[in-house]
Amino acid sequence: MTPYDPQSKELKELEEMEEQQIEQELGRCPGPVDLWSSAIDRRGLFKVGMGGLLSLLLAQWLDPRMAYAQGPAPKAKACILLWMNGGPSQLDTWDPKPGTDTGGSFKAIPTRVKEVSICEHLPMLADQADHLAIIRSMTSREGNHQRAQYLMHTGYAPNPTVTHPSLGAWVSEELGSPQAELPDFVSISGPSFGAGFLGVQYGPLVVQNPNQLPQNVAFAPNVTPGRFEMRRSALDMLESDFAAQTRDNKVKGREAVYGRAIRMMRSPKLKAFDISEEPDAVKAAYGDSNFGRGCLMARRLVEAGVKFVEVVLDGWDTHQDNFNRTTKLMGALDPAMSTLIKELADRHLLDSTLILWMGEFGRTPKINPNEGRDHYPQAWSAALAGGGVRGGQAYGQTDAEGMKVVDKPVVVPDLFATIATLLGLDPSKSFMTPVGRPIAITEKGKPIRELIG
Amino acid sequence: MKWRYVGVWLLAATALLGMSRAQAQTRPALSPAWIDHLIRLEWHKQNIQPAPPVDDARFLRRAYLDILGTIPPPDVVTAFLADKSPNKRAKLIDTLLDDPRYANHWTDYWDNTLMGQKIGGQLVDRSAFREWLRQQFLQNTPWNKFVYNLISASGQNSTGGTYAKARGLMMPAETMQGAMQAQAGTGTTDSAPVNGAVNWTLKYAGNPQDLSGTVSKIFLGVQIQCAQCHDEKMDKKWKQEDFRRFTACFINTRPLQIDRGKVMGIRRVDVIDIQRPFLGGRKVAANNQQYAASPPVALDGTDFSDSPNRRQALAAWMTAPQNPWFAQAIVNRMWNHFLGRGFVERIDDFRASNPPVMPNLLKALADDFTASGYDLKHLIRLICATQVYQLSAAPAHNAEDPGNTLWERYRLKALSPEELLDSLVDATNLEPVLERVAGDRLERLKFAMRQQFTFLFDVDEEFEQKEFSGTIPQVLMLLNGNLVNRGVTPIPGTALSDILAAPGGDAGKIEALYLRTLSRKPTPAEIHRWVAFVNGRTEVAVTQESSPPAPTAPRRMLLARLPQGKKANRPNNGPDPLARFGRPGTLPEPTPRLQAYEDLFWALLNSSEFTFNH
Repeated sequence: MTPYDPQSKELKELEEMEEQQIEQELGRCPGPVDLWSSAIDRRGLFKVGMGGLLSLLLAQWLDPRMAYAQGPAPKAKACILLWMNGGPSQLDTWDPKPGTDTGGSFKAIPTRVKEVSICEHLPMLADQADHLAIIRSMTSREGNHQRAQYLMHTGYAPNPTVTHPSLGAWVSEELGSPQAELPDFVSISGPSFGAGFLGVQYGPLVVQNPNQLPQNVAFAPNVTPGRFEMRRSALDMLESDFAAQTRDNKVKGREAVYGRAIRMMRSPKLKAFDISEEPDAVKAAYGDSNFGRGCLMARRLVEAGVKFVEVVLDGWDTHQDNFNRTTKLMGALDPAMSTLIKELADRHLLDSTLILWMGEFGRTPKINPNEGRDHYPQAWSAALAGGGVRGGQAYGQTDAEGMKVVDKPVVVPDLFATIATLLGLDPSKSFMTPVGRPIAITEKGKPIRELIG
Repeated sequence: MKWRYVGVWLLAATALLGMSRAQAQTRPALSPAWIDHLIRLEWHKQNIQPAPPVDDARFLRRAYLDILGTIPPPDVVTAFLADKSPNKRAKLIDTLLDDPRYANHWTDYWDNTLMGQKIGGQLVDRSAFREWLRQQFLQNTPWNKFVYNLISASGQNSTGGTYAKARGLMMPAETMQGAMQAQAGTGTTDSAPVNGAVNWTLKYAGNPQDLSGTVSKIFLGVQIQCAQCHDEKMDKKWKQEDFRRFTACFINTRPLQIDRGKVMGIRRVDVIDIQRPFLGGRKVAANNQQYAASPPVALDGTDFSDSPNRRQALAAWMTAPQNPWFAQAIVNRMWNHFLGRGFVERIDDFRASNPPVMPNLLKALADDFTASGYDLKHLIRLICATQVYQLSAAPAHNAEDPGNTLWERYRLKALSPEELLDSLVDATNLEPVLERVAGDRLERLKFAMRQQFTFLFDVDEEFEQKEFSGTIPQVLMLLNGNLVNRGVTPIPGTALSDILAAPGGDAGKIEALYLRTLSRKPTPAEIHRWVAFVNGRTEVAVTQESSPPAPTAPRRMLLARLPQGKKANRPNNGPDPLARFGRPGTLPEPTPRLQAYEDLFWALLNSSEFTFNH
């Protein structure tokens, strides 16, 4: 071990170097973002007890937020989250600043909406802009991938005392049904975030690859439906004996989950996961990418009654070579998202389906020496469409170089309150956590009326 | 040492004198009978009828799962059932405490509890941490020493090496290479021994507030971290100031790097304590300033400002016999592990507004644990010898008692991911097949399986599960997944193949399946039912094997796609590690009877009786 001498010059240098190192350790970005690493925390359950209920009711009466809840009746019955993993560059997508030092090489193109122009690499979305509400004034404080991903999935910064449910889990708990044949919450090409204290049953069913059915839904080799029935009858005998012996609720609870899994295996709706049924022209319209196929699967799942679908487009952590990489990413994003909007509209599902586009933060307006952009939570963009959103607008504004928000800043709790309101959920409805503290979908968030149509 | 025993006798004598006030005093040298007596009094007071005692087979299975984390092998079950000696249950507990798997199981338990599932960054060598844990449980390190060494740990984190190694994969060749590269890179010949315990400290490098919150929660059962953001509201006991002061105990600790510059894989560092605050990187320094500005003070007001090493001072304060929380926290945790519910519900949340049931028994157990020299095996022996641990999971009478807060019947506990995986592998006897298929990559295969299981089956053990909490993907894996479905086929060398090859009729084979899975003999009614089941089948079910590309791909190919390196961190990603073993060709021609046996085996593995500890 090196003896410690605080005066040593060598040590001073070492410390400086090391502090940078440790900063990296603390999540700055030690390498490619590991999409799956934050997935594994799915802890906790507990529902509100009667004691909590009373205080919640009181809290609601006294809550000034209730005033905001008056508005048009919510239309959205389902939600699709297009998750841009890594932190997408706002200046190269929704908030172009052509001709400035920070703007980069991309041009801006006009959209169907007057006064709103977006990046030249999103022409098909430009054509759907009348459906889009682009928020150019997102602002947050988390600049570390894991923490920011947690924030943008749950509405809360990570907190050592409690694991918050993700938006998908809230929706699954509030809008889902235990009788549904398909899971209420599906995540495609990424693990999303779990249900935290709401309980694992509200967590996502993860589809790793949009070209395949979810894992283990098909019968094992040499198991036919008939043979599966025989297996199940044998299992039922064992279960009823054990349930009779122990008379324990947990045995019944387990039976219910088995029932739901088997219902899903047998459901004709399972086909919603199989995009090969789609005509080639439709598949082509979404683009030849996993993200495109994921969006197509999301449309099929929403049609089949799934309440929340997350589709991940990974690769936005463009510290190097930002412009080539975002061009490629937008090549996947543009056809997929625009076709999704168009198809939902054609099928009269857009009004009842809320589409969210966001990542964990934006990227620095300043272009770094590697032609890259770094993490930037101060001022960034998100986009909403369908589901009762007032489309055809860009909300909020950044300054000429995109360094800061100059008009109508949107903080994360407000965004979540808006999303909740669009989905007909009460943003202030709380659940009791295991540590005995009620927690709502958002903390002090206010729905933004101008975004709701 | 001797004075302590004198004290014990004196206290015992006082205890006898004060017997009429049965629960009022502390009673070291606690006996199982005395614990049962206290609990029976409480049942009597509340008019509770306890469940009958559990039978030998179920007791054996329960003890195996609780102490070793897997189910007993069938021959152990038969031998235990045949054993006529009156003290065989006590002897069993002793045997299990001496089993090498004891250390593995408790390493899993504490690795999960302390490290959780997320591990990132270059500093944490999880293998080294696990190895440190394993040594503690192999040596049965006294709990006070264990906690002292963990909290005050300093020294080197790792011998270096790849991420794969640090994520829990032991790969000697790569480890060596990594260590050599690391040394070549720095030019040092440093060969200081590694102290794996520092990896836990390093998990929190730069985040002293998370470390202090965890220390207080896990080892003292005090949720001081609630006061991180605001004064704690429930009991108004902890103020933000208290939290900052407690956290200040960790602010002088820092990693000093051994490997400089760019390092692939684990960065070797030295964890040291210095005489001034370490604020961490630019992003966190501002936040850590508040802790640097606070004096280091323990929860009871003891000030460590003058201590040369704050962590050592804190660790000594925490583990001192006078500390009211220390022994109670671990006793409560262990009681929860064995009986499914602690005295304090939510095991690490001791506070006035969340009082324990039977506080005097909790205190007596804690005092006894302290008097035993913080001997975990002593505590386990004591708990397992009580009648309350040896009650049936089936209730005594028809009255439902959903509360069961006084352990009047044994609580069903869902197997942990590791317990379930190990039990499935043991029940199907897949290990030799895994070895054959994976060869020198067995560890990697097992690691991939473990990742998959912990991802799918993770539940929070820290508070009682009142209802079953399970997910559709978990169930689908047991219904249709490869582990169970390949495991129930008669691949040569596995359970069903051996059972079918053994001489004897169907009754004997059905009994063998029961012994392997449920660790008990079937009842005559069950034998009758299943004999009819295996003989009642007339047709063979055959499906086209939906062949993934190239079913004849060489083994190397499929194993080459197992998670490696950094990707090993990705759960449930990529191909199922068991996707193709037991391919057609190694299996006998299916017959109706054979398939019926597979189906019975499958049902047993899917049953609640298998997947719960009961």
